[in-house]
Amino acid sequence: MRHGVDQHAMQPGASSLTTLVRAWAPVLACLLLAVVLQMVVGPLLVSAGWDFAAKLLLDIGINVILAVSLTMVNGFTGQFSIGHAAFMAVGAYVAAGIVYYGSFRLFGSAEMAGGLLSSAPEGRQGAWLTRGDALFGLSILAGGVASAGCGYLVGLPSLRLRGDYLAIVTLGFGEIVRVLIQSQTTETLYDPEEIAKTPLWQLPKYLGGALGFSGLPFYTSLFWVWVFALLTVLVAYRIKSSTYGRAFLSIREDEIASEAMGVDTTRYKVRAFVISAFFAGCAGALFAHTVGVQLNAGELGFVKSFDIIIMVVLGGLGSISGAFLAAIILTILPELLRSVSEYRMVAYATALILMMLLRPQGLLGVREIWDKRTWRWLTGSRTRKRGGS
Amino acid sequence: MSALVLEASGVCKTFGGLKAVQSFGISLAGGDLKGLIGPNGAGKTTVFNLLTGVYTPDEGKIALAGRSIAGKRPSRIAAGGMARTFQNIRLFGELSVLDNVKLACHVRVKHSMWASVLRTPGSRAEERAIEGKARGLLDLFDLADRADEQGKNLPYGDQRRLEIARALATDPKVLLLDEPAAGMNPQEKKELRDLIRRVRDEFKTAILLIEHDMGLVMEICERITVLDYGKTIAEGTPGEIQNNPRVIEAYLGVEAADAPSGASNA
Repeated sequence: MRHGVDQHAMQPGASSLTTLVRAWAPVLACLLLAVVLQMVVGPLLVSAGWDFAAKLLLDIGINVILAVSLTMVNGFTGQFSIGHAAFMAVGAYVAAGIVYYGSFRLFGSAEMAGGLLSSAPEGRQGAWLTRGDALFGLSILAGGVASAGCGYLVGLPSLRLRGDYLAIVTLGFGEIVRVLIQSQTTETLYDPEEIAKTPLWQLPKYLGGALGFSGLPFYTSLFWVWVFALLTVLVAYRIKSSTYGRAFLSIREDEIASEAMGVDTTRYKVRAFVISAFFAGCAGALFAHTVGVQLNAGELGFVKSFDIIIMVVLGGLGSISGAFLAAIILTILPELLRSVSEYRMVAYATALILMMLLRPQGLLGVREIWDKRTWRWLTGSRTRKRGGS
Repeated sequence: MSALVLEASGVCKTFGGLKAVQSFGISLAGGDLKGLIGPNGAGKTTVFNLLTGVYTPDEGKIALAGRSIAGKRPSRIAAGGMARTFQNIRLFGELSVLDNVKLACHVRVKHSMWASVLRTPGSRAEERAIEGKARGLLDLFDLADRADEQGKNLPYGDQRRLEIARALATDPKVLLLDEPAAGMNPQEKKELRDLIRRVRDEFKTAILLIEHDMGLVMEICERITVLDYGKTIAEGTPGEIQNNPRVIEAYLGVEAADAPSGASNA
């Protein structure tokens, strides 16, 4: 990701090969890092007896996707969406439906049929990727696309209006999604013959309703989570540091001036919203297939949306690295506070109020950890002061 | 004389019962420098808002480079070649000075967002071009050494100049300046005067200026339109305007209708 930072250095003579490498090397790096996490770090943690750390890494990755994607709306364009979990739910249910019933239709059962990259850290032998992984990978993308589609439908009317309306509409959308899913039949089909007989268009009815969708194969692994988490960060970073990112940020800064400078603010707000919804849908798909999760729309309601907003606000509205850090901190913190878990929301609220009082701009403000300004701020004046006293 | 880039005629706007602007008309050709003056509340900024699409005119025609723009979105009008500054400065305060200008280059960007995400050669080349153009404008406006500062941290006069630089970055055919000299000291005003002329000469932009500093307006504008209560009460060269009794009356009231020089110092 460093490559992008240096783009200010003028290099008119850079060959097309260099450009190609600069464009795709970070993508490959994301892939590689995810593979290393899955094949090296995960097993190491498990063999050291730190299974919980491996599990925590999964949760962190999913929260990173959610926080960074919400940053694109609440941080970049300055709109206020409070229904991010609903997009997660859409992605989760679409992907879960595809994986669960797809597995029955294609493989005859809903057992996990993934390769090494999908398995739990203690692992099995075999190929790295299998047809099960292909199904899972496609279902994640399908979840993301379905969620992006919902984002478009919700965003188009509400983003034409002032910011507050988006908050109201997203809140309503979240409740609609939750209620719609919960009001469906609680039945889940698990007999292969019956599933084979049921027409495809009827299968989406049987998603477990209010009881939750159980029996999903646990494909989600460190590899899958972190491929998507790192790609989310990369895409967010590349958008932010491009001319389109400046267009997004200008909307947050001053919508009237932005429009006067030729930025079609409605269109750009919808764009940011749709991209954000896409990644939230992917996060939902990953969440649905995590070990120990029984997919239930009730858990993907307002409270979950609020959790994500806290991450974004804590990190600093508009800061990708801030959201990343906040996602890590706020995933680990509740684990440390297990003993007082009933008071989690109280602690969150207190933390948020304190944050608003002491550092209203969040951990990093709009800065990024890799900005020169941040380093000057972290090292320069502060250390000098300390050295003096 | 080159072709008209901005032509407005019969433009009206009412807010409730208030006739804010009545049958306003103006025409500008490339390189023209005209002034729009009038007492406070005369409707000058409303005219700007009508021309730039912030308000939709109730009646009348506005054409930018031959195309009708009445009722279009401000962003479309900006893309068509109309740029403006704001009376109450509207910079992107958290963004750097450089980014303020770079953002304004966005309206001419040809590559898609996907090209940006994939960092295609085309997108990189365009980003480099934007960088160069923005730095060039900052040089011209004497803001180069402040490029990395946040817009909101600039002194007032610099903010006003940055607004003009930003407006110019959209490659406008018509530039609307809303009280660019407000809050400037005499030295800054002198520099601003030279700058506006330079912009007109170098960029061949048509400029329409709202300004309360009569010295500045009379000195640089070729023609001046005077508004009062939304009506155009006079139009002509600075000399004509200064001697126009209706203008003097609008500004100074009936009693003080003795001094054209009084108007120029108001």
